[in-house]
Amino acid sequence: MTSRKRNLSIIALMLVLLAGSFYVILTKPTVLGLDLRGGVELVYEGRPTPQVPTVTAQAIDDAIETIRKRTDALGVSEPEIQRAGQNQISIGLPDVDNADRAIEQVGTTAQLQFYDWEENIRGQGPDAPFAGKTALYDAVEVAAKEKPTATETDLPPDGASEEIEQRFDGDKKQIQEYYDRRNDSHSGRYYLFDSDKELITGPDSTCEELLSDYEGVKGPKRKQSEIPKDSKCREELAAIPVGKGDTGTTTPESSAAPKSGPPAGSEVLEVPRGIVVIEADRAENQPADVHNYYVIEDDSELSGGDIKNPEQNTDQRTNEPIVTMEFTDKGRKAFATVTKRLAQRGSEIIVPPGTDRQQTLQRFAITLDDQIVSLATIDYRENPEGIDGRTGAQINGIGNLTDTQDLAESLRIGALPIELKLVSQTQVSASLGQQALDQGLLAGGVGLALTLLFLILFYRVLGVVAAITLIIYAIFLFALVKLIPITLTLPGIAGMILTLAVAADANIVIFERIKEEARAGSSIPAAISNGYQKALRTIIDANVVTIGTAFILFTLATSGVKGFAFTMGVGTIVSLFTAVLATSAILGSMSRTRLIGSRFALGVGKDDQEGPRWHLDFVGKSKWFFSGSGMILVVGALAIAGLGLNFGIDFESGTRVKTPIAQNANVDEVRDALAPLGYEDAKIQQVDEPELGDNVFQISTPTLDEKEVTELRTALDEEFGVERAEFSVNSIGPTFGAQVARTALIAVIASLLLISIYMALRFEAKFVVPVLIAIAHDILITGGVYALVGREVTTSTVAALLTILGYSLYDTIIVFDRIRENVPRMPRATFSQIVNRSMSEVLTRSLATSASTLMPIGALLFFGGETLQDFAFALLVGVASGAYSSIFIAAPLVTLWKEREPVYVRRRKIVLEENGGVVPPFASGVLGEDGDGAVPAPRKPQRRAPVPAAATPAPAAPAPPSGDGNGASSSAAERKAERARNRARKKHGRN
Amino acid sequence: MSMVVWVMMGIALWHFAVFVPDRFYGGIIGAFCAAIAGSAIFGWVVSGFSIPGQADTTLTSAFIAVPGTLLALGFSWWYGNRSETEHRPEVL
Repeated sequence: MTSRKRNLSIIALMLVLLAGSFYVILTKPTVLGLDLRGGVELVYEGRPTPQVPTVTAQAIDDAIETIRKRTDALGVSEPEIQRAGQNQISIGLPDVDNADRAIEQVGTTAQLQFYDWEENIRGQGPDAPFAGKTALYDAVEVAAKEKPTATETDLPPDGASEEIEQRFDGDKKQIQEYYDRRNDSHSGRYYLFDSDKELITGPDSTCEELLSDYEGVKGPKRKQSEIPKDSKCREELAAIPVGKGDTGTTTPESSAAPKSGPPAGSEVLEVPRGIVVIEADRAENQPADVHNYYVIEDDSELSGGDIKNPEQNTDQRTNEPIVTMEFTDKGRKAFATVTKRLAQRGSEIIVPPGTDRQQTLQRFAITLDDQIVSLATIDYRENPEGIDGRTGAQINGIGNLTDTQDLAESLRIGALPIELKLVSQTQVSASLGQQALDQGLLAGGVGLALTLLFLILFYRVLGVVAAITLIIYAIFLFALVKLIPITLTLPGIAGMILTLAVAADANIVIFERIKEEARAGSSIPAAISNGYQKALRTIIDANVVTIGTAFILFTLATSGVKGFAFTMGVGTIVSLFTAVLATSAILGSMSRTRLIGSRFALGVGKDDQEGPRWHLDFVGKSKWFFSGSGMILVVGALAIAGLGLNFGIDFESGTRVKTPIAQNANVDEVRDALAPLGYEDAKIQQVDEPELGDNVFQISTPTLDEKEVTELRTALDEEFGVERAEFSVNSIGPTFGAQVARTALIAVIASLLLISIYMALRFEAKFVVPVLIAIAHDILITGGVYALVGREVTTSTVAALLTILGYSLYDTIIVFDRIRENVPRMPRATFSQIVNRSMSEVLTRSLATSASTLMPIGALLFFGGETLQDFAFALLVGVASGAYSSIFIAAPLVTLWKEREPVYVRRRKIVLEENGGVVPPFASGVLGEDGDGAVPAPRKPQRRAPVPAAATPAPAAPAPPSGDGNGASSSAAERKAERARNRARKKHGRN
Repeated sequence: MSMVVWVMMGIALWHFAVFVPDRFYGGIIGAFCAAIAGSAIFGWVVSGFSIPGQADTTLTSAFIAVPGTLLALGFSWWYGNRSETEHRPEVL
């Protein structure tokens, strides 16, 4: 196929794809993430239970399946439920504005248990719950001293299985103990109480979980004498400073990090496995803040898995909404056994004459998530053989109709196989989402316009070609986003805008190569053909690493960063496609037209000649660049040490509320309204969110649970008026923050490993270390600047840092690629001369790329709204540092290291001898301009007279060259150059 | 966080190693490794074999890294210089 036919075929293919893309764009909806359309995102962490002692992948998958059924029951369209990390589940519920109900429905374990009440009751007896202000403490204190007992009733209705009989050699006691443990619904639980016996936090399964809120709290450690002697978790408590007892209060300057630990005298109590503290059923008119508790042995007779067909019904006598249910065969058998046992036990009780028979009736309790929902009696005279369970059972006293329907639905779907702890909760109002979408689109539009303008001004006709391919790229990418479909999030938009820069850079690399060829005297078609070929390898090298980094980020990172990584990866692949195919076809088709027929059209000046455009002694001056970087890093280190990094709630945990209020108020008035709830130290800011209204406040507090969030909203609503739909919450638990940090670290290490392996394979091992040092340089400088300006470090910042890592590497690869290319072309030059020439050749490209990258980043910074601004700020610093370090740090480092190799020591000695003890910054000539083994493209007749060739290796000259010769235009010169190249290769190979 | 500060200070000071003749053991990259190891180990030892977290990191943490880095760089230069003198490579 001729090149003309090939180009026309590609253009035809592009047109077909464009038509297809327009069809997709016009017909398919765009799937917007929660941050852009509003909704609730919940992240749960799986915790083991006695039935599922390890949170396996299967357990998480089963839990996801149950949650999916529950969200379907909630009527949520397009819920996003996915596994996050090893043991977390992320649930996105678009358009849901009632977070409380979502949490209630989705994350509630819904563990239904049936207990033989009189048999299992401990503490003060079956009708005497622990009551009063310290009810929970009293109950837990008693429970902590109880021990489970194994009895005959622990065995299943059919007795012990054969397998168990054999396992324990028929030892009755051991068999009973085995079944006693199997009946447990909970593992051991820890509670933290203050000295006033009020619960601070808990229950949790381990000491670490219980006290994780206090990680990072400053202050002198507590003395052992300040911990009550019966307290558990003594070592962990001793490591936490004494505080006021809240789970953390905020300082106005910092994020929501807790500043104080539990007060002196706080103690941890452990309720052992086999014993459980449950809340008593609520009496009519019982105040919401009054709770009574029982202590029972955790011998569940049957559970939620043993029931079927739970339905919401109405009690015919009272018209109260109830849940009715039937039993499975196994459940019916267990129910019949327990009720028979209750009836028999009741009948065996001897009471004095005249005593109310009611006192002899035995009961069974139905509990739902450790709260009694029903306490039913078995009348032994009516049912002397118990109840066979054919008529099922019912639960009453649940509450209103919605609560009853929700419970029936939860029971129908089934209990979660594991316990889930809510570690992060984000609620975004639809208005805030719309505002973020508008800002993202505006930033994208401005970024694209600026990049196009820059390319057209800088590269003239080539710039127009680049503009066309960039627009094609944008259309393809948007169509793909709709087709796959990719859920578009705010970080995802940032990723797309950034890939604009990557796409533009691919064009820049090609154009700079074409210009070099044109300067060298090649005809326009030859310049395009050769330039394109040479650029292709560089582009692929650089983009492979970007795609690899995006893949690692997508695999390892948390959900917010995932969206960014995915769009960045897809965008880079599309940009490769458009740059490699579209640009090539358009330029190839235009190469013989008038449009591109002159050097001026390519942006090459009339008098421009071959050779580097810059004549700066990069390596010689590198000491001063190193000093500059050293000084910046010293300042950065002092800033991080002295000022610290301002970690956001993503890392430090906490709750951030953003809400408009109806009445005018200032920060102090809002603070006064929240003071009764204990949030007088919360960080309160009035923020500019025009879509939400004039009075928008952001309130940062320690991590609040859903009940506390509701209290806060109610307090604000009563004082100033708050619309529930406009109320946004982001609540991050400490374990989630730790997970974010851990995954970020793993992603960085994995990316660096990938980079090292790729660089070592494609370049050489000695190029790897300077690349890693340049990356460290950029990331540390960005960290230092963050500390200096006090900007908040969020998950977006992590994504930005990882992007910087990719960008810094991309830039360095472009420079190193040129060094690699020039090494065999300059067989007598010192390494510093090779590097100087290489950097002079690529500096224009580096500057152009940096400009085209900084434009969309600038657009993000100015128009992107709060989240994108954080992201853009990190990128701005990192990209500037990356461009600088590629040229002024990485390349001189390679020079210093390589110049120790014997071959370069020898060359240096010769050059010194030939130049009176001085190494000139530039060698005077290079081998054939097609060098590096690249197959020279067929050269067409030259449009200008060939410059006399100087392709043989020339001795180094003290002054920068005025022109490095043209080895491509005459066949004699080519032959001569080829001979010299062969000599050089042999010599280089020997060394 | 102290570890980050120590290493950052070590890397910062290493940048000035280009002002002395390159006789570091392993060259400039050897000096880099020495600076990082020196700053980190010295900081860890002086901090009582612990790595203070974000809450306990102060300006002093940054300065703690300085002597360690300089000592390590000095040792790397002395050792490299000695090795180079003993095993000077044949040139041409």
